[in-house]
Amino acid sequence: MARPGVNLKLYRNARVIVVVWMTAVLLAAFLLRIPRIHILEHTARNLYFHVPMWFTLMAGMIVSVYHSIRYLGTPDLVRDVRAAAAARVAVLFGLLGLTTGIVWAHYTWYQGTGLWWNFDPKQSMAAVELLIYGGYFVLRSTIDDPQKRARMAAVYNIFAFVTMPFLLYVLPRQMESLHPGAEGNPAFSQITAPIMRAVFYPAIIGFFGIFWLLYTQRVRLALIKQRALGDVEL
Amino acid sequence: MISFVQDTTQTGTGETTAYDSVWAHTGVPVQQPKGFEQVMLSEDKLYVVLAVVLIIWFGIVFFLFRTDRKIARLERSVEKGIPVEHPDHG
Repeated sequence: MARPGVNLKLYRNARVIVVVWMTAVLLAAFLLRIPRIHILEHTARNLYFHVPMWFTLMAGMIVSVYHSIRYLGTPDLVRDVRAAAAARVAVLFGLLGLTTGIVWAHYTWYQGTGLWWNFDPKQSMAAVELLIYGGYFVLRSTIDDPQKRARMAAVYNIFAFVTMPFLLYVLPRQMESLHPGAEGNPAFSQITAPIMRAVFYPAIIGFFGIFWLLYTQRVRLALIKQRALGDVEL
Repeated sequence: MISFVQDTTQTGTGETTAYDSVWAHTGVPVQQPKGFEQVMLSEDKLYVVLAVVLIIWFGIVFFLFRTDRKIARLERSVEKGIPVEHPDHG
């Protein structure tokens, strides 16, 4: 495709597949029997929901920064639209990851303490990361000239993206955390039952699908809006 | 900040590491669960998973509604022939 527009046929087919896929994931998430472990008990199943939020954040930001870099190469506003939409949906997943983590910890590791937030390094870093991306949207809203906004936002987006591996993966592993990762694998600990991977990986794919649907909707909308603005370049 | 991470070098036996209950009840003030918390902890904490799924569900619904509102706003602008506002403000 010469112009990075939206493939509507692909979108419509993906929509059906994602809905069926996620329904199967939800059923498996609750019906599959898993070994019982202390403290976690059934909440071990949150592996299927909480962890994919962060995978989706990462994937979404990769999509976003890809389009930002492409914009800097060839200033096409469609790239800017895509970068902004991807970042927005990715931040949604980040917020959901944070919220689900807070609830999960409160009823498991923090049970009996009444705590909701205990400055777990990974959790705190994730909050910082979301604030950095909050800055991306604040920056966007302060610039009115589309090309200038796109350029500034693209540069900021690259900066924000570069901080992410450090804040989410490198630093938290250097400190005591409830999150697995110090042993090498960010998603599983030694006591994660192998059978759970059979639901975990499909769940990630399913949430990627949901991300892609929400993102494509926003891209379609933004492209229509830019056309209505009378931008002949689009 | 209360440390919830067990020193796995001393008590870790491979199967029971950082997530086992051995460490959680040591040195942590224990309040008896009551009311809503008791419900959340019943059925082996299955309702915590339900809560997490509902949070994600409502998050996605919230986002869909926002997109919907943007569409409605664009529709109104197009119908009335009013210039569309800044793409980031819609």
